[in-house]
Amino acid sequence: MKKIFLIFMIVFTAQVSLAQVKSVKGVITDSDGMPLPGASVAVQGGQKGTTTDFDGLYTIEVQKGQSLVFTYVGLETQTIVVGDAATINVKLVQGASNALNEVVVTSLGIKKTRKSLAYAAQELKGEELTRVKDANLINTVAGKIAGVAVTRSSSGAGGTTKVTIRGNSSFVNNQPLYVIDGIPLYNGGAGQPNGTFGDLNGGNKDGGDVVSLINPDDYEGMTVLKGAAASVLYGSQGANGVILLSSKKAKAGAESFNVNSVTTFETAAYLPEFQSDYTSNPGDPRSWGPKQKVEGDKEIKDFFEVGNTQITSMTFTKATDGASTALSYANTNGSGIIPGNHIKKNNFGIRQTSKFFNDKLSVAVTANYVTQTINNRPTNGLYFNPIAGVYSHPRAFTLNDLKTYEVFDPVKNMMQQNYPGFATVNESNENPYWQINRQKSVDKNNFFTGAIALDYKIAEWFHLTSRYSYNRNESNFQKGMYGSSATSLVHPTGRYINSNLIGTQNYADLIALFNTKINDNFSFNGTLGTSINHSRTTGLTIDSGIGGGLVYDNIFTLGNFVNNNGNVQTGSEREVQSVFAAATFGYKDYLFLDVAGRNDWSSTLANTQDPGYFYPAVGATAILSEMTTMPEFVNYGKVRATFAQVGNDIASTITSPTSSIVAGNIVNPTVGPRRGTSLKNELKSELELGTEWRFFNNRLGFELSYYTSETKNQFLQVPAESTNPDGFTFYGINAGSISNKGFEVVLFADIVRGEKFNWDTRINFSQNRSRVNDIPSESTGGRIVLTDPGSNSYRYSLIEGRPFGVIEGFDFKRDAQGRILVNDDNTLQRTDWKEIGNANPDFMLGWSNTFKLGAFTANILLDGRFGGEVLSLTQAINDFNGVSKATGDARNAGTVNINGVKASDGTAVTSMDPYEYYSNVAGRNGVSSQYIYDATNVSVREVSIGYTFNKTKLPVFQTATVSLIARNLFFIYKDAPFDPNVALSTGEGLQGVDVFGMPSTRSIGINLNLTF
Amino acid sequence: MTLNIIKRTAICLSLLAAFSCTDNFDEMNQNPVGATTPDLEQNFNNIKSLIKPAFTRLYISDVTWQYQLQQSLQADGWSGYMTTPNEFGGINNHNYNLNQNWNGYAWDDAYVNIIANLFKIEQRAKGKYDQFYSWSLIIKVATMQRITDMYGPAVYSKFGGDGLATYDSQEQIYTQMFKDLDFAVTDLTARVADGEVSKFTETDQSNYGGSYSQWVKYANSLRLRLAMRISKVNPSLAKTEAEKAVNHSIGVFKLNADVLKIKSPLDLNVIDVMSHAWVGLFMGADMESILGGYQDPRMAKYWEPSVQVAGEYKGVRTGIVYPTPSTYANFSQTGARTKTGEVTWMSTAEVYFLRAEGALRGWNMDGVAKDLYEAGIRASFEQNGVEGAAAYIADNVKVAKDYVDPINPVNNSPAVSKVTVAWGATNEINLEKIITQKWIATYPDGQEAWSEFRRTGYPKLFRITNNKSGGVISTALGVRRLPFPLSEATNNPKGVESGVAVLGGPDNGATRLWWDVDKANF
Repeated sequence: MKKIFLIFMIVFTAQVSLAQVKSVKGVITDSDGMPLPGASVAVQGGQKGTTTDFDGLYTIEVQKGQSLVFTYVGLETQTIVVGDAATINVKLVQGASNALNEVVVTSLGIKKTRKSLAYAAQELKGEELTRVKDANLINTVAGKIAGVAVTRSSSGAGGTTKVTIRGNSSFVNNQPLYVIDGIPLYNGGAGQPNGTFGDLNGGNKDGGDVVSLINPDDYEGMTVLKGAAASVLYGSQGANGVILLSSKKAKAGAESFNVNSVTTFETAAYLPEFQSDYTSNPGDPRSWGPKQKVEGDKEIKDFFEVGNTQITSMTFTKATDGASTALSYANTNGSGIIPGNHIKKNNFGIRQTSKFFNDKLSVAVTANYVTQTINNRPTNGLYFNPIAGVYSHPRAFTLNDLKTYEVFDPVKNMMQQNYPGFATVNESNENPYWQINRQKSVDKNNFFTGAIALDYKIAEWFHLTSRYSYNRNESNFQKGMYGSSATSLVHPTGRYINSNLIGTQNYADLIALFNTKINDNFSFNGTLGTSINHSRTTGLTIDSGIGGGLVYDNIFTLGNFVNNNGNVQTGSEREVQSVFAAATFGYKDYLFLDVAGRNDWSSTLANTQDPGYFYPAVGATAILSEMTTMPEFVNYGKVRATFAQVGNDIASTITSPTSSIVAGNIVNPTVGPRRGTSLKNELKSELELGTEWRFFNNRLGFELSYYTSETKNQFLQVPAESTNPDGFTFYGINAGSISNKGFEVVLFADIVRGEKFNWDTRINFSQNRSRVNDIPSESTGGRIVLTDPGSNSYRYSLIEGRPFGVIEGFDFKRDAQGRILVNDDNTLQRTDWKEIGNANPDFMLGWSNTFKLGAFTANILLDGRFGGEVLSLTQAINDFNGVSKATGDARNAGTVNINGVKASDGTAVTSMDPYEYYSNVAGRNGVSSQYIYDATNVSVREVSIGYTFNKTKLPVFQTATVSLIARNLFFIYKDAPFDPNVALSTGEGLQGVDVFGMPSTRSIGINLNLTF
Repeated sequence: MTLNIIKRTAICLSLLAAFSCTDNFDEMNQNPVGATTPDLEQNFNNIKSLIKPAFTRLYISDVTWQYQLQQSLQADGWSGYMTTPNEFGGINNHNYNLNQNWNGYAWDDAYVNIIANLFKIEQRAKGKYDQFYSWSLIIKVATMQRITDMYGPAVYSKFGGDGLATYDSQEQIYTQMFKDLDFAVTDLTARVADGEVSKFTETDQSNYGGSYSQWVKYANSLRLRLAMRISKVNPSLAKTEAEKAVNHSIGVFKLNADVLKIKSPLDLNVIDVMSHAWVGLFMGADMESILGGYQDPRMAKYWEPSVQVAGEYKGVRTGIVYPTPSTYANFSQTGARTKTGEVTWMSTAEVYFLRAEGALRGWNMDGVAKDLYEAGIRASFEQNGVEGAAAYIADNVKVAKDYVDPINPVNNSPAVSKVTVAWGATNEINLEKIITQKWIATYPDGQEAWSEFRRTGYPKLFRITNNKSGGVISTALGVRRLPFPLSEATNNPKGVESGVAVLGGPDNGATRLWWDVDKANF
C-alpha cells in the first residue's frame, strides 16, 4: 500500500508543478447525459493528460489555443480547441462499438467500466422495471436476469417476493441484499408463515418487507451482482447476492415533468376443478352424499371478483449548474380478487444534489417516505382463510346461502355466525363471508429512508466519500375477530390482535477512493473504507387471546382485555463494524487484476473467541479482443475468473442468551450454545469463471458464467436434549454446508435492425445444482426440518446429500411388483416419511423479445421453469371433502382403479369404492405422494404493446406513449393444479406446496406515460 | 440513540479498525426486552419466577395441543376415560401402534419447562432460602412421579451435571422422591410451627394461597400415593412411607377444601376445547358402562348426552376401527366437570381411597377400610356437587352395563366390570371396588388412573379390538409404559442406553415398570 501511495504522490506533484497556464474544467457525459468516469482528456501533441472522476468531472491545465482530445473507449473521440471559456462540457456520442464503454454501478455505488469487471453483473434499465408495472418492483425482474429465481407470495398486491440468486446457500436466510445508491437498504418485515395449518394468531400472514414498498419510478436501473466476488465489499449481508438500485438523476440543464399512469385488471386464473354432481349429507362437512346437481366451478369462479390496480406516479426533475432536484410521488390503489381486499400506497421521494467549494464537495440528500395500507391481506392455510371455506363448503348449500353469514341470536341480543346446517363451526370450516366481514384485518406499513452522501475531491485521483443513512420500517397488523368464530381460534367474546414491529437501521461509511493512471500502460483504482451498520427491531403485540377474551363482546381495544397473557414485547439488536479495501490494477486497458478484502466485527458473535472475521477476493479479467487481432466480426471478447469468500455472522442473541417474561412467566431462552462450546461465522467460498463476446457490430452477443460455491459452518439450531440444565430447546451450532454449482447464459441478438422494423431478443438461461452436506447425524438424524408438518403430510427438510429443500410426505407401501398393499379392512398401507419431491427447478429460462415497428413497440417475455416438484394439499383436501372434479368423476365411474394387493392373502385388488379410496388417500394428512405434480411451467409472463406519439405533433408534451400491458397472461405449459411460481411464504420454509393459497392472477391493463 | 451511534461511528471510523469497538457487543446481543439475572434478584424473584411455570405445565392448561400430546393421546385413552376416534394414519396409541412423535412430549416439556427451572432454584435457594427449595422439591416430586410412571427410568440425580445426563432406575427415583419429600416436609413443618409468614403467597397459583401447612398436606398425600404405587414391589417400604404420611402432625387431605386445584391462566379447559371446539374427544365406552350401570349422578357432570342416541350417554370404545375421524362425532362429549378452567392435581377422595387400600393391606391408616372407602365416595360426590351418596354407597345391585356400539355391532361387548358399589366381603373384591371408585373420582386425570390400572388391574376395562402393535403389546395386558422419547434417542443416546440398562426389558410399550410386578394384589 505504501508504495502505491508513493506513486500517487509522484503523479500528483507532476501535475501541480505545471504553472503559467489556465485551468479548464468540465463534465464528460454520454449521449444520455450520464457522466463518464475514467474518460481521458489530453492536450494534443503534449504529454499532459488526465481522466475524469466518478462523476465525469475533469480539470486540466492547458494554454489557450491548444486542443483538448476527449476519448472514451467505445465512444467517438472529440477534439476541442481551448478558447476563453473556463468550462468545457463534452458529450461523447456512441461510436461504432459500444461493448467497451458500458459503465456499471458496482459495490458501494462505485461506477466501473463493464469490461474491467471480473464477475457477472447483469443490468436492467429502468424501463424494464416499469413497462409492465407491478405493485412490487421485484416481480418485474422475473425471467429477466439469469440465475435469479423470483417467487411471488400468494398474498396478493403489495405482497413480498422471494428472490434467490444462484440457489439457496444458507439454512436461515437466502434473500439478497438490496442497495440503493450504494447504501444497504433495511429490508426487514414482520416475518413469514411457516405452517400448513395456518397461524393461530390471525392466519398465515405475509409480514411484508421494504423492497415491496418502493416506487419503481424512482430508479433508473438495477444491477444484479450475483456472486460472492461482487458482493465481498458488502460483507455478510451481501453473501446471497446484491441487487443495486440507482436513483434517477436529473439531466444537466434540463427540467422535466413525467406522469405515468397504469391501470390493470386482475382475474383469478388457474382455479382447481370442482364436481357438480354430488351433494352432502346433512350434518356432514364433506360432500359425499347422494347424486344431485350442485353448483360446481361456477360458484367458485363467481366468488372471486375482478381486481383492479391503479398506479399513478409523477416525477419532477430539474438540474442547473451544480445543483439538481428530483421530486416524485406515486399512488397505488387497488382491490384484490377476494372480496374485501384493498391496497393503498403513497410514495414520496426527494433527491437534492449540490456542489460546494469550487465543486470539490458534492452533497446528495435523499428522502423517501412510503405509507401502505392493505385491508384483508390474503392468507393461506386452513385457518382464517376464506378460500378454504369457499372450496370446501358442503355442497348441500351454496356459497350464495353462505352470504347470510350471520343471524340474530335473541338470547345474546347480538349477531352470531351462520353456517347452514351446522350448530357450531370449527377452525377449518368457518363461513368465508363471516371471515371476510367479521374477522377483518388491516396491514399497515410506514417506511422512511433518509440519506446524506458527501463526496470530497481532494485531488483528481483521490476522493473521500462518506454516507449516512437511516431506515425505519414500521409494520402494523390489526385484526378484530367477532365472537362465534371457531372457539379454537377466537374466544366467544371476540379477539383482538394488534401487532406492531419497528425495524431501524443506521448505516454510515467513510471511503477513500483512488483512481489514476500510473503511466500509459498501468492504471490503478483503489478503495479503502470502513462502515458501521446498526439495526434494531422492537415489537409489541397485544392479543386478547383465544382463552382470555374481551370483557365486553367485540369491542376491540386493549382496555377491554380480560388478561395480559397474549401481550408480548420483543426486540433484538445487531451491529456490524467493518473495514475493507479493494484495488483494481489495469494494464493497457485490457488486463485487469482485482484484489479485495474485508474484516467484519459482529455483535452477534459476542462472547465467542473472536467477534471478527476476515475474508478476501481476487479476480482477473482479460479483454481478448483488445489483446490480439480478432476477425473483423468480433467486436468484443473477454474472459474472467474470480475466487472470493464472504463471511456471515449468526442470528442475534444466540451467544448472549437471556430469559424473557411472557404473561408473568419467566421463559428460558430457547436457544443457546452447548455448554463448553463456542460459535463462529459462516463462510461462503465461490469460484466463478466467465466469458463475454459480442459480434457483428454488437448485434449478437453472449455471456457465459460458471460458478461453484460452498457455504460452510452454517449456523444451525439443533434440538438440545430435553434434560439439559439450561432449559434450552435448541443448541446453536456451526455445522452443515451447502454447495451450489451452476452456469448462466445470457444471449442477445438484434435480429432485425432496420429503418422501420427492429427485433431484439434476449435469452437468460440458468441452471443450479445444490447439495446439503455435513448435517450432524447426532441430534438431527441428518435432517433439518424447515417446515414442521404438524399432523399434516407435508414436511420441508434439508437432508444430508440431497438438494436444498426436499418435500417429504407419505407414499403407498408396495410389494415387489409395485402393487399397493391393502389391509383386510380395506385401508391402504403407507410408508413413513419419505422424500416425495424436490422443490428446486432443474433450470430456468427467460426469453424476451422487443419488436419495434414505426411508432409501435411490442415486448413479450416468456418465463420458464423446468423440473422440480410441488405438492398440492389443496387438491388433497378437495378430494377428501368430495368437492373436487376428480371425486365427482370417480363416483360417476363407480370405482377408482388401483393396482393393489391384499397384504394378508395376496389377492389382487383392482378397484376401490371412491369414498373409501379418497378417505384413505386424500386429505391434509393423506398419502401425499399422490398429490405431487411436476413444477415445470412456461408462461407468457409479460406482454406490452406500446405506441409512441410523434413528438412534433404533440401539443404540450415532450413525449407520450400509451401501451396495452399484460402480466401472467397464460401458461403455455403447466402440470400442477396451481401456479408453481407462487409460494405460500417468501421465507425459507413452506416452499413447493399449496394449501388454499390465493389463486394466481392474470392482469391486463393500460400504461400511459407523459413527459412535459 | 442516533446520537450515540453517530458518536460511536465517528470514533470507530477515526480509529479505522486499528481497534474495533466491540466492548458493548454482549449488551447489544442480549434480548433488549428480556429479564437479566440482576434485575430478577429483587424480592426473591429469581426463585419465585422459576416456580411459576410448573403450575401451567404439570398438567398443561394453556395450550390445548400440548396437553393433547402430553397426556390426552396416551393415558387419558388407556385409562378408558375418553378417546379420540381417529386413525391418525394408522400410527396411533389407542391401537397400540405407538406414535413416538407424540409420546416424548410429556418428558421434553417436563424437563425443559419444570425441571430445568427447579434445578436453578436448587442452586439459588438451597441452604439460603430453604422454604423455596422445599417447595421446589414437592413440585419436583409431583413432576417426576408422573414422568417415571410413564417411562420408568429417567434423569433424576444426574440432572445438571456436565455433558449428557444418564438415567436413574425407577427404584432409585422413588427412593430419592421419598427423601426429597422428607426434606421438604421437615423444613416446612418447622416453619409452620414457628409461625413463619408464607413467602409463597404471591407466587402460588393454586387455591392454597401459599399456605405452608397446605403444601405439607399435599406433600404427605403425594407420599401416600407414591407409597401405594410400590406396595407390591416393596411392601415394607410402602407401609413405612404410607404410615409416615398419614400419621404426620399435619397429615393428609381430609376435606374437599384440601383438593389441590390450579386455575388455567387462560381460563380455558383444554379437554373441553378438544372435545367441543375440535370435535375430537369423546366419552370412553368404559365410562358409559360403569357410570351408566351404577346410574352414577356424576355422569351428568362429566359428560353430555350424545346426539347419536338422542338423550343417552354414548361412549366410544377405544382401540377399534375408526372409519373416518367423524364417524363417532355424534357421541357424548365432555360435560361441566371440564368446563371450569381448573385443573385438579390431587383430590381428597383419592386420598381416602388410598387410605382405604392401605387399611385393607393392614397398615395403620387412622381408620378402617370400609369407612375410608365410603368417605372417599362422599368426598367425590361433594366435590362434584351431586346428591345421593348414601343410597349410592348402599347399592349392592347395580353393576356396569353392557356396551352397544350403534355404528358397528362388532364393538358390542358385555360389561367386564362386575362389582357393585356397596362394600363387599373379600380383600380382592374390595380392592376392585376401591380402585373402581377411585377411577371414577380421579377423572379426568388419566395418568393416575392408567398407573393404578397397571398396578392393580382395576377397574376392568374393555379390551381393544384392533391391535396394530405388530405383536409387541398384548391386548390382554395393554400398554405398560411409554418408550423413551425420540428426542432422547437422537440427542442423548447414552442416556437412553443407561435407561434401557436399568429398565429390565426392551424399550417398548410392553415392558413392565419396576413397581408393575406381575403378581397377585395380595
